[in-house]
Amino acid sequence: MLTIDGLTKRRGGRAVLSEVTFRARPGRVTGFLGPNGAGKSSTLRVLLGLDRADAGTALVDGRRYRDLVAPLRTVGSMLDGAGAHRSRTARNHLAWVARSNAIPRRRVDEVLAQVGLADAARTRVGRFSLGMGQRLGLAAALLGDPPVLVLDEPTNGLDPAGIRWIRGLLRARADAGATVLLSSHLMGEVAEIADDLVVIAGGRVVATGPVDEVTAGYRTLEDAFFGLTGGGR
Amino acid sequence: MKATDTVLAELRKSATLPATAVAAGIAVLGCAGIALLNAVHVRDAPAAGRADLVGYTAPAEAVFSAAPLGAVGAVVLGVTAVSSEYAINSPGAGGGRQVLATLTAIPRRPELLVAKALVVALLVAATAAVALPVSLAIVHAVAGPVAADGLLARSVGAGIYWMLTALMAMAVTVFARGGVLPLIVLITNSSLVSVSVLLAKVTPLAFWLPDLAGMRLFAGDLVVGADRALDAPTGGLVMAAWTAALLAAAAAVLVRRDA
Repeated sequence: MLTIDGLTKRRGGRAVLSEVTFRARPGRVTGFLGPNGAGKSSTLRVLLGLDRADAGTALVDGRRYRDLVAPLRTVGSMLDGAGAHRSRTARNHLAWVARSNAIPRRRVDEVLAQVGLADAARTRVGRFSLGMGQRLGLAAALLGDPPVLVLDEPTNGLDPAGIRWIRGLLRARADAGATVLLSSHLMGEVAEIADDLVVIAGGRVVATGPVDEVTAGYRTLEDAFFGLTGGGR
Repeated sequence: MKATDTVLAELRKSATLPATAVAAGIAVLGCAGIALLNAVHVRDAPAAGRADLVGYTAPAEAVFSAAPLGAVGAVVLGVTAVSSEYAINSPGAGGGRQVLATLTAIPRRPELLVAKALVVALLVAATAAVALPVSLAIVHAVAGPVAADGLLARSVGAGIYWMLTALMAMAVTVFARGGVLPLIVLITNSSLVSVSVLLAKVTPLAFWLPDLAGMRLFAGDLVVGADRALDAPTGGLVMAAWTAALLAAAAAVLVRRDA
């Protein structure tokens, strides 16, 4: 369970996040939806202990991310692509990540196969395509077989087959009891997979709840998105 | 997650970074090359009728006057250990920086910095353990026996000087979050023009600056200004104090800063 309470963050005098509050529950895929610059990445960065909030808390099963004993065994995350140095090979990158959280070395080849990068294991990350970078980021997220997944725009750069594949993967994880939080600015992709929605605009949460509740009164999710975020005018 | 996992992960990360091999190469080949040139000079000095030069170019000096190149290698190692975290991946692969993977894997930042410092110190020590004996062997083969007097102390001293230099370079790179500026400034300072050496001509206080303080760890009596420099134990401690202060400041910055 991810518990975000009253997150507030200012950057250079501008409020990036204002009292952001929501839950992401086990066994459900929570779509974190909003236009670019709405505060999705900022929220996830605070949740993952990367950035500091001026107020509020973001907890993973009641604990701050940085207090988790082996964080990658609890939370798998992907922000901003692969997160690997360009001169490293995919395997080499995952090997140090695994080592840092005492994850067995065999997991490296397992997740590379799982995300379809087995043949690119020895390729330098700098030569990857956007989609391969996303797959490597996802491999790192899956490395510790975590009960919680936090993914920022995971389908960025994936082809339709890749998008379909990731949808199946996340659905299976949630059905097995995992907490899945994924952000997106594309309502269509979220509609296909999310059970719950958190809609954010201008650093404020404007709607939360099960998909049918949030979209009630709108003809389509797209109408709901623009209606709630005040965009598209 | 145990602290040893963090250290082993950082060791694997640094040891497999191509820039680390480059840094070690600079130190080993650079020292060996300079030592070879010096040794040839020492060997030929008497034959050239310049026996007066032999004092300045004793075999031991042929080895230790190459030490600044080891410091350059140490700077590269210390800088790239941190700057590689902030390097942006190629745009085609979606950009992104390794630091996000690092900080989500190892969210306790003081622990991360300590692990990085240990790894950098270890890699520099390993480099010194190759570079100095190789240089000694070359000088021995070309110019004859190197006087054993103080040799071990100066070798260890050179290794400590490189290690502390690398750690300071690492700390400075934490502030800069990129490698270009620290590399230019620190390599220039340790190889071409030392700001501290210039200042030492003006005030003896310059001998307390980070790079000059520890010079007697390896430099002999014949180095310019060495008579006024701090002695090896004092200078080594002063240099270590600078290193500790810079690392503490780097930790404070790293803990407070958004990734």
